[in-house]
Amino acid sequence: MIPEARQRLRSGATLLNDLRLFSVHPRRQLNVSRPLLGRAAAPRPRPRERVEIPGLEPITYGARSHYVPGLAKPVYPRWEMGHKDPRFYRSPPHQQMALYKEKACYLFNQRTSILEGVRQALWLTKTKQTTGLPSQLLSLAESSANQIADQDERVMNVIKHARFWEMTEMEPPQENYCSTLLHSLLQLCSSLQASHPVLGKRMLAEKYSLTASWNRGEDLFQVRGQNGLLLSSTTPLPPLADRQEVEETENHVLETFYPVSPTIDLQTTHLYSPDRMTTGFCGDYPYPHAHTLYFPEGVDRRNRLRPPQLRAKMIMFCFANALARAHTLYGAAPQTLDQPVCVQAVATDGQNLQLAFFQLNTTDLQHHHGVKNQVSTGRAGRLIDRRHVL
Amino acid sequence: MAMACLSRGLRSLSLLPQTPVLSSQTRATLRPAISVQLPLPAIVSHGTPLQLCRGFITTASLDQNRRFWKQREKYTIKPIGMKKTGGRDHTGKVRTHGIGGGHKQRYRWVDFQRLRFEAGKEGQVFEEKVVEVRYDPCRSADIALVAGGNRKRWLIATENMQVGDIIKTSGVIGRMAVSANEGDSYPLGALPVGTLVNNLELQPGTGSVFIRAAGTSGLLLRKVNGTAIVQLPSKRQVQVAETCMVTVGRISNIDHNQRIIGKAGRNRWLGIRPSSGLWQRKGGWAGRKIKPLPPMKSYVNLPSISAN
Repeated sequence: MIPEARQRLRSGATLLNDLRLFSVHPRRQLNVSRPLLGRAAAPRPRPRERVEIPGLEPITYGARSHYVPGLAKPVYPRWEMGHKDPRFYRSPPHQQMALYKEKACYLFNQRTSILEGVRQALWLTKTKQTTGLPSQLLSLAESSANQIADQDERVMNVIKHARFWEMTEMEPPQENYCSTLLHSLLQLCSSLQASHPVLGKRMLAEKYSLTASWNRGEDLFQVRGQNGLLLSSTTPLPPLADRQEVEETENHVLETFYPVSPTIDLQTTHLYSPDRMTTGFCGDYPYPHAHTLYFPEGVDRRNRLRPPQLRAKMIMFCFANALARAHTLYGAAPQTLDQPVCVQAVATDGQNLQLAFFQLNTTDLQHHHGVKNQVSTGRAGRLIDRRHVL
Repeated sequence: MAMACLSRGLRSLSLLPQTPVLSSQTRATLRPAISVQLPLPAIVSHGTPLQLCRGFITTASLDQNRRFWKQREKYTIKPIGMKKTGGRDHTGKVRTHGIGGGHKQRYRWVDFQRLRFEAGKEGQVFEEKVVEVRYDPCRSADIALVAGGNRKRWLIATENMQVGDIIKTSGVIGRMAVSANEGDSYPLGALPVGTLVNNLELQPGTGSVFIRAAGTSGLLLRKVNGTAIVQLPSKRQVQVAETCMVTVGRISNIDHNQRIIGKAGRNRWLGIRPSSGLWQRKGGWAGRKIKPLPPMKSYVNLPSISAN
């Protein structure tokens, strides 16, 4: 084939690539990602290294506008469009961006799975953990005034609906039955509104974004992004631990896990706004106090958290919500709070329920001594016994 | 749809107003008297422009059989999808027989350079905690996920490595030899003579090359002014610089050589294809050979003593 013709007709090869898409190829798997199949794109060959000798001007073949062996490749400045077009925006390198900082910030978001789980979350939030929910909460659950009529039967129906009645398959996908279960249970709880008018003063919000930042030791941490469903209310949650217990937490020493650093698995970034705190809602939202957070687990199929990491996520987001609320109420100065801010959380993966009650006692998180925050965690048993399913 | 693409592309191949590139046959049949150098307007003035077909490539682009899945610069602990070669090289021909098929595998990137410091912590002795010890389909030994500081990496597991162990890596050679625990990594100059070692580096800082298979271990024989002599599992002795890092102990999965394959199918699962069944006369290479050990190989670049 004549070389000039081959060059001009190179576009023909791309046509045939299009044609290949439409032919049925037995070994192609279009629904599996390319890295998983071991098929990576051919890497571009690296350009030859340019040698810059100060004082000497390289002789290039630019003037002759065709390649000449022996002469250097000409370097032209990048062509700039005269106007701004959002389709062709080139972002500047990180160092030239407005939010660039020398010091790195560690981010926690809803997809973070930290290695040390609950221990790491407790260290990051300066919290003391108590296993088992406080007795006040348990007594609330067991008192008959708070029970729904035919509670057991209705809960069984909810579980059957989520697990068996949604689909014709034996095992519906976890993202389906988990979120169905959560929403059905929430609806069941809200049916108590007739006897408990305070339930009417609460509002459920989904997909709200939160930002909380704090200094711990020498590092800056931020919690960002969407976390789960938020039940917020007009009145704050009353704290369960009294002043004496809060002062006793001063003696508690936070557990470290040498040789692993507490910042492991957290995303590092140099582009951030320090001291940024948002609850996710505007100042005049009628339900400003965060009451309970609900975390459906398993919705993101690529990022399923194990139970320890799920508990850690609960603690981190409870803390972030409480911290953002304390910031709006008491200001940005680190202090021990007279009125602790409390947030509850429930996380479920469709099988188990993880519960937590978080009490923010202090916003002075830089030092390791002093009053600590408190969290009580508990879990409810398995909802479905798989041995009896089939 | 395919035809629309093809015709759309061909329509863009306009012959006017560039000089047409003709094959010699068309040149001969169409205009025997006129030379090719005439510009096109001369041809157009004679009548209708000639519809010449230059031809186009009808074969698909030939890919080189290269291992592109390996070209990743940033380290990751996530398993990477692997493409099997079948014993073929970059030209696509079989270079090694007996390889093909087998269970699909994902590659876990093992960090063979044990003395790799984190950014900002160069030169310090550091410790790491073993998070998980698991089977690796790509090698005979087991691998361990270790976490230290802000990073996690895969290492070759030693014999008694358990979850929760703390392993130490040090690049310092002291005057006294260190009493090393299994799984720790030191330069050869810091270890006492007679230690069982594995993951031996040949040049300091390049990553370990020798003694990585299941159940193997080398023996530190002598330390001679700035170099150390190690006996490899094949009983060959090598001399390397004493700053080369080694790990102490035997490699995990020590019963690997005593496993019984049991059936031909299990070999096929491992990607081993049957050898040729053709009887071939064995030559001088076959049979038991009893010969002396090859001489010690030295990987130390000592400065040459010149007469000047």
